[in-house]
Amino acid sequence: MQASTEGRKHTNRSTYALVFLVLVIVTAAEVGLTTLGLPQGSLTVLFLALSLVKAALVAGFYMHLRDDPPVYTYIFVLPAIMLAAFVFMASLY
Amino acid sequence: MAAHEAGMTHKSEFRAGRQLGLNHVKLGMWLFIASEVMFFGGLIATFLKYKLALPTNEAAHLDVTLVGANTFLLLTSSFTLVLALAGLRDGKRGAFLRNLLFTVLLGALFLAGQGYEFSLLYAEGVTLSSSLFGSTFFTLTGFHGLHVLIGVVWALVLIVRGTRGAYSADNDLGIEIFGLYWHFVDIVWIVLFTLIYLI
Repeated sequence: MQASTEGRKHTNRSTYALVFLVLVIVTAAEVGLTTLGLPQGSLTVLFLALSLVKAALVAGFYMHLRDDPPVYTYIFVLPAIMLAAFVFMASLY
Repeated sequence: MAAHEAGMTHKSEFRAGRQLGLNHVKLGMWLFIASEVMFFGGLIATFLKYKLALPTNEAAHLDVTLVGANTFLLLTSSFTLVLALAGLRDGKRGAFLRNLLFTVLLGALFLAGQGYEFSLLYAEGVTLSSSLFGSTFFTLTGFHGLHVLIGVVWALVLIVRGTRGAYSADNDLGIEIFGLYWHFVDIVWIVLFTLIYLI
Protein backbone atom coordinates (compact mmCIF):
# COMPACT_ATOMS: atom_id res chain seq x y z
CA MET A 1 0.00 0.00 0.00
CA GLN A 2 1.20 3.46 -0.80
CA ALA A 3 1.64 6.02 1.93
CA SER A 4 -0.97 8.70 2.08
CA THR A 5 0.52 12.07 1.27
CA GLU A 6 -2.61 13.90 2.35
CA GLY A 7 -2.58 15.60 5.71
CA ARG A 8 1.09 14.98 6.24
CA LYS A 9 1.61 18.36 7.84
CA HIS A 10 0.27 16.52 10.84
CA THR A 11 -0.77 17.98 14.10
CA ASN A 12 1.78 17.77 16.86
CA ARG A 13 1.43 15.73 20.03
CA SER A 14 0.71 18.65 22.35
CA THR A 15 -2.32 19.58 20.23
CA TYR A 16 -3.52 15.96 20.37
CA ALA A 17 -3.07 16.02 24.15
CA LEU A 18 -4.97 19.32 24.45
CA VAL A 19 -7.89 17.92 22.42
CA PHE A 20 -7.91 14.82 24.64
CA LEU A 21 -7.92 16.99 27.77
CA VAL A 22 -10.88 19.05 26.51
CA LEU A 23 -12.81 15.87 25.60
CA VAL A 24 -12.27 14.36 29.05
CA ILE A 25 -13.03 17.55 31.00
CA VAL A 26 -16.22 18.23 29.03
CA THR A 27 -17.40 14.63 29.48
CA ALA A 28 -16.65 14.72 33.22
CA ALA A 29 -18.50 18.04 33.53
CA GLU A 30 -21.50 16.55 31.68
CA VAL A 31 -21.64 13.54 34.02
CA GLY A 32 -21.32 15.95 36.98
CA LEU A 33 -24.19 18.11 35.70
CA THR A 34 -26.55 15.13 35.48
CA THR A 35 -26.06 14.46 39.21
CA LEU A 36 -27.09 18.01 40.23
CA GLY A 37 -30.76 17.43 39.49
CA LEU A 38 -31.12 20.56 37.38
CA PRO A 39 -34.24 20.92 35.18
CA GLN A 40 -33.68 18.54 32.25
CA GLY A 41 -34.97 20.91 29.57
CA SER A 42 -32.32 23.55 30.13
CA LEU A 43 -29.52 20.99 29.94
CA THR A 44 -30.69 19.21 26.79
CA VAL A 45 -29.61 21.98 24.44
CA LEU A 46 -26.28 22.35 26.26
CA PHE A 47 -25.56 18.59 26.10
CA LEU A 48 -26.45 18.44 22.38
CA ALA A 49 -24.20 21.42 21.64
CA LEU A 50 -21.31 19.94 23.65
CA SER A 51 -21.60 16.58 21.86
CA LEU A 52 -21.35 18.41 18.53
CA VAL A 53 -18.24 20.23 19.76
CA LYS A 54 -16.65 16.95 20.93
CA ALA A 55 -17.48 15.19 17.64
CA ALA A 56 -16.02 18.12 15.67
CA LEU A 57 -12.82 18.01 17.75
CA VAL A 58 -12.31 14.29 17.09
CA ALA A 59 -13.12 14.62 13.36
CA GLY A 60 -11.07 17.78 12.89
CA PHE A 61 -7.92 16.83 14.78
CA TYR A 62 -7.84 13.03 15.20
CA MET A 63 -9.32 12.24 11.76
CA HIS A 64 -7.22 15.07 10.26
CA LEU A 65 -10.13 16.75 8.51
CA ARG A 66 -8.55 20.13 9.28
CA ASP A 67 -5.50 19.23 7.17
CA ASP A 68 -7.08 17.02 4.49
CA PRO A 69 -8.90 18.10 1.30
CA PRO A 70 -12.37 19.47 2.20
CA VAL A 71 -14.14 16.84 0.06
CA TYR A 72 -13.75 14.34 2.96
CA THR A 73 -15.51 16.77 5.27
CA TYR A 74 -18.39 17.15 2.79
CA ILE A 75 -18.69 13.35 2.47
CA PHE A 76 -18.94 13.08 6.27
CA VAL A 77 -21.15 16.09 7.04
CA LEU A 78 -23.69 15.77 4.20
CA PRO A 79 -25.28 12.50 5.42
CA ALA A 80 -25.23 13.89 8.96
CA ILE A 81 -27.26 16.92 7.81
CA MET A 82 -29.64 14.65 5.87
CA LEU A 83 -29.99 12.54 8.98
CA ALA A 84 -30.77 15.57 11.16
CA ALA A 85 -33.45 16.61 8.65
CA PHE A 86 -34.86 13.06 8.71
CA VAL A 87 -34.99 12.93 12.52
CA PHE A 88 -36.65 16.35 12.57
CA MET A 89 -39.28 15.24 10.06
CA ALA A 90 -39.86 11.98 11.95
CA SER A 91 -40.38 13.95 15.16
CA LEU A 92 -43.32 15.81 13.55
CA TYR A 93 -45.42 12.64 13.44
CA MET B 1 4.39 26.97 -16.38
CA ALA B 2 2.04 26.59 -13.49
CA ALA B 3 -0.44 24.71 -15.70
CA HIS B 4 2.34 22.44 -16.86
CA GLU B 5 3.32 21.69 -13.29
CA ALA B 6 -0.29 21.03 -12.37
CA GLY B 7 -0.54 18.62 -15.30
CA MET B 8 2.54 16.75 -14.17
CA THR B 9 1.23 16.55 -10.65
CA HIS B 10 -2.04 15.14 -11.87
CA LYS B 11 -0.20 12.58 -14.00
CA SER B 12 1.93 11.40 -11.13
CA GLU B 13 -1.08 11.35 -8.83
CA PHE B 14 -2.85 9.21 -11.44
CA ARG B 15 0.05 6.77 -11.53
CA ALA B 16 0.08 6.60 -7.77
CA GLY B 17 -3.58 5.54 -7.81
CA ARG B 18 -5.02 8.93 -6.95
CA GLN B 19 -6.90 9.80 -10.12
CA LEU B 20 -9.10 12.33 -8.35
CA GLY B 21 -6.13 13.90 -6.63
CA LEU B 22 -7.38 11.93 -3.64
CA ASN B 23 -6.17 8.71 -2.14
CA HIS B 24 -8.65 6.09 -3.33
CA VAL B 25 -8.43 3.90 -0.25
CA LYS B 26 -8.99 6.89 2.00
CA LEU B 27 -11.86 8.12 -0.16
CA GLY B 28 -13.39 4.65 0.02
CA MET B 29 -13.13 4.66 3.81
CA TRP B 30 -14.83 8.05 4.04
CA LEU B 31 -17.65 6.84 1.77
CA PHE B 32 -18.03 3.79 4.01
CA ILE B 33 -18.15 6.11 7.04
CA ALA B 34 -20.87 8.15 5.29
CA SER B 35 -22.91 4.95 4.92
CA GLU B 36 -22.27 4.19 8.61
CA VAL B 37 -23.67 7.62 9.53
CA MET B 38 -26.93 6.57 7.88
CA PHE B 39 -26.79 3.10 9.47
CA PHE B 40 -26.44 4.46 13.00
CA GLY B 41 -28.78 7.30 12.03
CA GLY B 42 -31.62 4.86 11.46
CA LEU B 43 -31.02 3.16 14.81
CA ILE B 44 -30.69 6.51 16.63
CA ALA B 45 -33.87 7.87 15.02
CA THR B 46 -35.76 4.75 16.11
CA PHE B 47 -34.43 4.98 19.66
CA LEU B 48 -35.34 8.69 19.93
CA LYS B 49 -38.78 8.15 18.40
CA TYR B 50 -39.77 5.68 21.12
CA LYS B 51 -37.98 7.64 23.83
CA LEU B 52 -40.08 10.71 22.99
CA ALA B 53 -43.35 9.01 22.02
CA LEU B 54 -43.43 6.35 24.74
CA PRO B 55 -41.50 7.63 27.77
CA THR B 56 -40.65 4.84 30.21
CA ASN B 57 -39.04 4.79 33.64
CA GLU B 58 -36.66 2.06 32.47
CA ALA B 59 -34.17 4.77 31.50
CA ALA B 60 -33.74 5.37 35.26
CA HIS B 61 -31.84 2.05 35.41
CA LEU B 62 -29.03 3.50 33.27
CA ASP B 63 -25.85 4.20 35.25
CA VAL B 64 -24.42 7.47 33.89
CA THR B 65 -21.30 7.34 36.08
CA LEU B 66 -20.37 3.80 34.99
CA VAL B 67 -20.91 4.62 31.33
CA GLY B 68 -19.08 7.94 31.79
CA ALA B 69 -16.03 5.95 32.92
CA ASN B 70 -16.45 3.70 29.89
CA THR B 71 -16.62 6.78 27.66
CA PHE B 72 -13.31 7.92 29.17
CA LEU B 73 -11.75 4.59 28.07
CA LEU B 74 -12.89 5.06 24.48
CA LEU B 75 -11.75 8.71 24.34
CA THR B 76 -8.35 7.61 25.68
CA SER B 77 -8.12 4.88 23.04
CA SER B 78 -8.54 7.51 20.32
CA PHE B 79 -5.74 9.54 21.89
CA THR B 80 -3.37 6.55 22.04
CA LEU B 81 -4.18 5.77 18.41
CA VAL B 82 -3.20 9.25 17.15
CA LEU B 83 -0.01 8.86 19.19
CA ALA B 84 0.60 5.49 17.47
CA LEU B 85 0.26 7.08 14.01
CA ALA B 86 2.45 10.04 15.03
CA GLY B 87 5.06 7.59 16.38
CA LEU B 88 5.02 5.63 13.12
CA ARG B 89 5.43 8.80 11.04
CA ASP B 90 8.35 9.87 13.22
CA GLY B 91 9.99 6.47 12.77
CA LYS B 92 9.51 5.55 16.42
CA ARG B 93 8.51 1.92 16.01
CA GLY B 94 8.35 1.18 19.73
CA ALA B 95 5.97 4.07 20.40
CA PHE B 96 3.85 3.03 17.40
CA LEU B 97 3.37 -0.57 18.54
CA ARG B 98 3.01 0.32 22.23
CA ASN B 99 0.27 2.89 21.61
CA LEU B 100 -1.53 0.57 19.20
CA LEU B 101 -1.50 -2.08 21.93
CA PHE B 102 -2.91 0.46 24.43
CA THR B 103 -5.69 1.16 21.93
CA VAL B 104 -6.55 -2.55 21.78
CA LEU B 105 -6.54 -2.87 25.59
CA LEU B 106 -8.71 0.23 26.07
CA GLY B 107 -11.15 -1.00 23.40
CA ALA B 108 -11.33 -4.41 25.11
CA LEU B 109 -11.90 -2.73 28.50
CA PHE B 110 -14.71 -0.66 26.96
CA LEU B 111 -16.34 -3.89 25.75
CA ALA B 112 -15.93 -5.45 29.21
CA GLY B 113 -17.56 -2.35 30.73
CA GLN B 114 -20.42 -2.55 28.27
CA GLY B 115 -20.88 -6.25 29.03
CA TYR B 116 -21.00 -5.42 32.75
CA GLU B 117 -23.57 -2.65 32.10
CA PHE B 118 -25.71 -5.03 30.02
CA SER B 119 -25.57 -7.67 32.77
CA LEU B 120 -26.71 -5.11 35.38
CA LEU B 121 -29.63 -4.05 33.17
CA TYR B 122 -30.65 -7.66 32.53
CA ALA B 123 -30.55 -8.34 36.28
CA GLU B 124 -32.96 -5.42 36.74
CA GLY B 125 -35.33 -6.74 34.08
CA VAL B 126 -34.38 -4.41 31.21
CA THR B 127 -33.78 -6.82 28.33
CA LEU B 128 -33.79 -6.90 24.55
CA SER B 129 -37.41 -8.04 24.58
CA SER B 130 -38.71 -6.37 27.76
CA SER B 131 -39.98 -3.23 26.04
CA LEU B 132 -39.47 -0.92 23.06
CA PHE B 133 -36.92 0.96 25.19
CA GLY B 134 -34.98 -2.26 25.83
CA SER B 135 -35.16 -3.34 22.18
CA THR B 136 -33.98 -0.03 20.75
CA PHE B 137 -31.38 0.53 23.50
CA PHE B 138 -29.70 -2.87 23.15
CA THR B 139 -29.87 -2.82 19.35
CA LEU B 140 -28.25 0.61 19.19
CA THR B 141 -25.55 0.14 21.85
CA GLY B 142 -25.03 -3.49 20.81
CA PHE B 143 -24.27 -2.54 17.21
CA HIS B 144 -21.86 0.09 18.48
CA GLY B 145 -20.18 -2.52 20.66
CA LEU B 146 -19.93 -4.80 17.63
CA HIS B 147 -18.09 -2.01 15.81
CA VAL B 148 -15.68 -1.69 18.74
CA LEU B 149 -15.13 -5.48 18.68
CA ILE B 150 -14.36 -5.36 14.94
CA GLY B 151 -11.96 -2.47 15.62
CA VAL B 152 -10.17 -4.42 18.36
CA VAL B 153 -9.69 -7.43 16.05
CA TRP B 154 -8.56 -5.14 13.22
CA ALA B 155 -6.03 -3.42 15.50
CA LEU B 156 -4.68 -6.80 16.64
CA VAL B 157 -4.08 -7.71 12.99
CA LEU B 158 -2.28 -4.37 12.53
CA ILE B 159 -0.07 -5.09 15.55
CA VAL B 160 0.89 -8.52 14.19
CA ARG B 161 1.64 -7.01 10.78
CA GLY B 162 3.44 -4.10 12.44
CA THR B 163 5.80 -6.37 14.37
CA ARG B 164 6.67 -7.99 11.03
CA GLY B 165 7.62 -4.57 9.66
CA ALA B 166 4.60 -4.02 7.40
CA TYR B 167 4.37 -0.31 8.26
CA SER B 168 6.83 2.54 8.23
CA ALA B 169 6.95 6.34 8.07
CA ASP B 170 6.50 6.07 4.29
CA ASN B 171 3.93 3.30 4.44
CA ASP B 172 1.34 4.34 6.99
CA LEU B 173 -1.91 4.18 5.01
CA GLY B 174 -3.11 0.98 6.73
CA ILE B 175 -2.83 2.67 10.12
CA GLU B 176 -4.42 5.92 8.95
CA ILE B 177 -7.41 4.07 7.46
CA PHE B 178 -7.91 2.12 10.69
CA GLY B 179 -7.66 5.44 12.55
CA LEU B 180 -10.55 6.87 10.51
CA TYR B 181 -12.68 3.85 11.43
CA TRP B 182 -11.76 3.88 15.12
CA HIS B 183 -12.23 7.62 15.61
CA PHE B 184 -15.57 7.42 13.83
CA VAL B 185 -16.69 4.70 16.24
CA ASP B 186 -15.55 7.07 19.02
CA ILE B 187 -17.66 9.90 17.55
CA VAL B 188 -20.70 7.61 17.36
CA TRP B 189 -20.24 6.88 21.06
CA ILE B 190 -19.94 10.60 21.89
CA VAL B 191 -23.33 11.11 20.22
CA LEU B 192 -24.90 8.00 21.76
CA PHE B 193 -23.66 8.92 25.25
CA THR B 194 -25.43 12.29 24.94
CA LEU B 195 -28.66 11.00 23.38
CA ILE B 196 -29.09 7.90 25.57
CA TYR B 197 -27.54 8.77 28.91
CA LEU B 198 -27.43 12.56 29.27
CA ILE B 199 -30.67 13.92 27.84
